[in-house]
Amino acid sequence: MSDYKPTYAQLLETNNLIQQNADEVYWLCATRTVQESKIFPVSAYILFSYLNCYYRYPELLRKIEAQMSMEEIGDRARNQGIKIVAWTFPCFYLLGREMLINWGLIEPTDAVEDVSYVLDCWKRFQLSWHRNNGNLTNRQAGHRAQVMPEQKLQVFHADAFECREGDALHKAAQGFLAATAQYGFLVSCESRLTLHNYGPYKVGDRREMLVRDFRELSESDYPWLDGVGADIPYNNLTVTMIVEGVHINLLDDWGSFESVPELKAEHMVGVGLYTADNLSEGHVPVGMGSAEELTATFNDLTSRIKHATSLLWKTMAGWTRDQQLDAGALTYFAVIKEFAHIAGCYEVDDWMKIDERAERFRPLLNDEYGNLFLGELVGYISSPSQRLHDYTMMQHNDNPTRSLSYFPYSMLTDGQYTRGVGPMRPGVSNLPDKQDRYRTSRGVLTLAEYNRLSREFTPTLCQEPYRFLCADWVKYHYDTPQADTMFKLEQQHSRVLKDKGAGLRREDVEALRGRT
Amino acid sequence: MSARLYTDTDKYAWQSEFPLVEAYNSAVKDLVRKRFAEFGGEWRDFVAGAGETAITKEDLLRIEQRVLDYGYRFEPSAISSAAERPQAYKDKGLNQADFSFEHEQAPTAAPDAQGRELRGAGDNVVTRTQTVVGIARYVRTSDTVLKYLTEGVPADTIAIVDDSGGTLTAPVLEQFKGVLCAGGTTRSHLAILTREYGIPCLMNVKLSGIKDGQRIEVECTARAKTGDDYASGTEVPARVWRLA
Repeated sequence: MSDYKPTYAQLLETNNLIQQNADEVYWLCATRTVQESKIFPVSAYILFSYLNCYYRYPELLRKIEAQMSMEEIGDRARNQGIKIVAWTFPCFYLLGREMLINWGLIEPTDAVEDVSYVLDCWKRFQLSWHRNNGNLTNRQAGHRAQVMPEQKLQVFHADAFECREGDALHKAAQGFLAATAQYGFLVSCESRLTLHNYGPYKVGDRREMLVRDFRELSESDYPWLDGVGADIPYNNLTVTMIVEGVHINLLDDWGSFESVPELKAEHMVGVGLYTADNLSEGHVPVGMGSAEELTATFNDLTSRIKHATSLLWKTMAGWTRDQQLDAGALTYFAVIKEFAHIAGCYEVDDWMKIDERAERFRPLLNDEYGNLFLGELVGYISSPSQRLHDYTMMQHNDNPTRSLSYFPYSMLTDGQYTRGVGPMRPGVSNLPDKQDRYRTSRGVLTLAEYNRLSREFTPTLCQEPYRFLCADWVKYHYDTPQADTMFKLEQQHSRVLKDKGAGLRREDVEALRGRT
Repeated sequence: MSARLYTDTDKYAWQSEFPLVEAYNSAVKDLVRKRFAEFGGEWRDFVAGAGETAITKEDLLRIEQRVLDYGYRFEPSAISSAAERPQAYKDKGLNQADFSFEHEQAPTAAPDAQGRELRGAGDNVVTRTQTVVGIARYVRTSDTVLKYLTEGVPADTIAIVDDSGGTLTAPVLEQFKGVLCAGGTTRSHLAILTREYGIPCLMNVKLSGIKDGQRIEVECTARAKTGDDYASGTEVPARVWRLA
């Protein structure tokens, strides 16, 4: 008998959190995309990453929470943006568990303390990140991602420059969006983990705003961007897009969207550009002094990104398969590494290495087995562990299946379970060593400097007395000095709203933009 | 000597969908049964202790070798996989000079009044106002992309690619006049990128008889295929013609 004893309530909640992810696994993976690549063995590296998540996440999350709670990290994510963690964080981990159950290497009763803890971390992070709409996930919100507060949205709305298809700003913005999306797919080894959309937000009749994050563009955590990303002056860029005559009707937990009608370049009528990281006071405008300056900024960044794309492509096309496997697996596994940066406890060996317990499975991960086993786990839902009794009708497909295994409640009486996977083991990587250069909003830092500054810095809006001044408080206190100061803090870099305070409505913002 | 595992008793006795997965996963389970039996103790001591070292990389290499010894060869996805281990992967003809896709489902028809010969169809990403005409060129290897990167993409190239990823053609994609992709959906990375670049593109295209260098016309004026179309199984074919 273990000295750790889960309660009935804990298991009920853990299984509920497993189920919430199980429902979304099939919908996202079977209906939203097909991932293929001639450069990367994508499915094989995805499976590899799942194993690394299973063996490493529990200890890494405990290490992060020793510095900062998941709730506080959620506050920071809302303030600065974050990579796609909503579905990836729990599901990568739980799919690693599912693989090992199907290999007989663990039982569904194993690592109950770890799994409960990882899912509890996810829940607390998500609830904090999403506190402005009260939902755990975009799925719960009807596939919407309205996470930002009014004061930030007002600045994004106010400062966006009007543009029309064919004009110089529109062309520059479209060129930037295309080139940066392409670079992002390459940086993240044919995944979309560097792109993330938020919204939609209503900004007027027939107008909605989409906020798109591009993350990890410069020299930061990935060894493969050393040198390649050196000329890109921002690690993260956020593009605000106002679209007209189109409705964003779906924004999922991968940060991807759909619209009615199909979004085309002609629908974009407003655009803005910002940067943010965990060392900045929220979003800082980039080239936003005038439409001409923004046009030139987009064109300059596009040129730098295209150059970096060519450099990176040549590097990656010359990699061995093991290097491709490592890079892809580490990209997926390290999707939550930004938590460690926010907490100021990032270490290269924690996040850029394959744990030796996962490494031993490398020989199994040929292309075909990778494609088929991944397909079974997330698309067909046809692995033996996923089969349920014959009366079951799974959400979305009515089959007698479930994507992710529960913990049996029998554990509460028979005591047959284990707590966790224990400490991290040494890791390996076939990639070049990471150089000690990290592009941040404070310049290029060493990792030691970056961690120190991260531990010392808390954005003003994430500190008392502002941290808990939420939208529901603003609704009834917008006329107080405290609300005014909070809005002015968000407005400090705004071209249109600087020092306007808390009293504006959306129509007022539109009027200040010259549109009534 | 072999032990029973927790999952060996399964009321719904299910097997994996694919024989290769079943073979691999069963082989790993057999290994665990054997090593757990040799361990001789409690599962809780094995699972987070001895079990983590009792199953080794060498064990798993032997599982793969057994599959290869039967004469099985893996279906490659990445170029590097077959290039590094040609003895383990099937040859997909990536370097075959006279290659053409010959999909069984490709619709074909005799030349019409304008001399256009139907040779395939796919899922249109964005509805355009005009069809696109260009020269078909297969882009299936990083060597081809590197050549284009060095020498420039030939004018009027409509690239024909195998997979729906956005990485193989990343440094030259913008220079294509059109793209025909044999895989993926209108939600795939390649579809997203061609939409952003304004390049006409068909995904999941089925082709027959189109050779490198031939003039083709792509019906990118067809209705774009939506998520609802995929969910309901509705086909919305956009055609590909070979021109005289």
